[in-house]
Amino acid sequence: MAHRRCLHSALLHATALISLKKSPSLSIVKALTSKPNPGITTSNLEPSWFIPWSYIRHFSSRKSDDSENEAEMEESSDGEGESDEMASDMVRDYSPEEKEAEAAAIGYKVVGPLQRSDRVFKDYEPVFAVVQIGSHQFKVSNGDSIFTERLKFCEVNDKLILNKVLLLGSPTQTIIGRPILPDAAVHAVVEEHALDAKVIIFKKKRRKNYRRTKGHRQELTKLRITAIQGIEKPEIKTDGKPLKAAVKKPEKIAATA
Amino acid sequence: MAFMESELPTFKEKNPQLEVVTELIRGQHPHLKGFYKNKNERVVCVKNMTPEDILLYATRLRNALGRKVVKLRTRHVTKHPSVQGTWTTDVKF
Repeated sequence: MAHRRCLHSALLHATALISLKKSPSLSIVKALTSKPNPGITTSNLEPSWFIPWSYIRHFSSRKSDDSENEAEMEESSDGEGESDEMASDMVRDYSPEEKEAEAAAIGYKVVGPLQRSDRVFKDYEPVFAVVQIGSHQFKVSNGDSIFTERLKFCEVNDKLILNKVLLLGSPTQTIIGRPILPDAAVHAVVEEHALDAKVIIFKKKRRKNYRRTKGHRQELTKLRITAIQGIEKPEIKTDGKPLKAAVKKPEKIAATA
Repeated sequence: MAFMESELPTFKEKNPQLEVVTELIRGQHPHLKGFYKNKNERVVCVKNMTPEDILLYATRLRNALGRKVVKLRTRHVTKHPSVQGTWTTDVKF
């Protein structure tokens, strides 16, 4: 008698499940129909059903409450399942190259091909650029090294083009972008993907017997800047202070305008 | 062992510039040793790790330079900090 009641209510719950979630519930329904003894649990959701089964004996008034409770519990578990799936999708989903290009655009970099025996490391040129990667901005010149957050979709010895350039400068000229310069490009090469030193996050509340220790290593990418394009580069390095006065005027105008 | 059978050959092919040597050392935990160009050695113990984890550590060793793991002082390392001249309080625009 109890078994019949349990099965009946279990079928009702199963129908409620089907409305919410599709494929896993079918397997659960099959498990239910095949096994008359609901004590054997194979799926994850079944233990959650056992809790409201104590209410099964109070039939008619409590059914809607049970289904509502179960709906809430299932939705919460669905949410967790979806977040887990999303996390795994974040890791695996980027096989199409278009998606990689989109994600690269978010991080303001375009991956070029690998290079070998390519003379990319030139001498120092007196040109600088202010470039943005992710949410960090760097003032960058030829031959500098930059440590950024781990950039996805690029491996060691990859050429990158950083296209979010906010300012270009040389001893004779300064070009300011509003907010970015469309024709400017900064070329960089990925030197390494490494982990930062370990930081220990220690939490303590005194006199409350609460102490937590957590270790964290941030993943970094080291980029070496090879070239800056979009500005005239002076060949003579003797440009000095009198020309700077003429240069700074466009800055002021741009600031006030 | 499973790593050596399943993942090591692919790792070797993906990195033809690396010299991968396998040794059987009895009485010690299995470990990965990375030799870097700056004569630095990084050792990672892989006892009781799944092949995927071992591959992850191997790629980390491959991606890294042999720098000593210290906290970074600056995120921007440059030899020429100023292009248009360092600003002081005397500079007038």
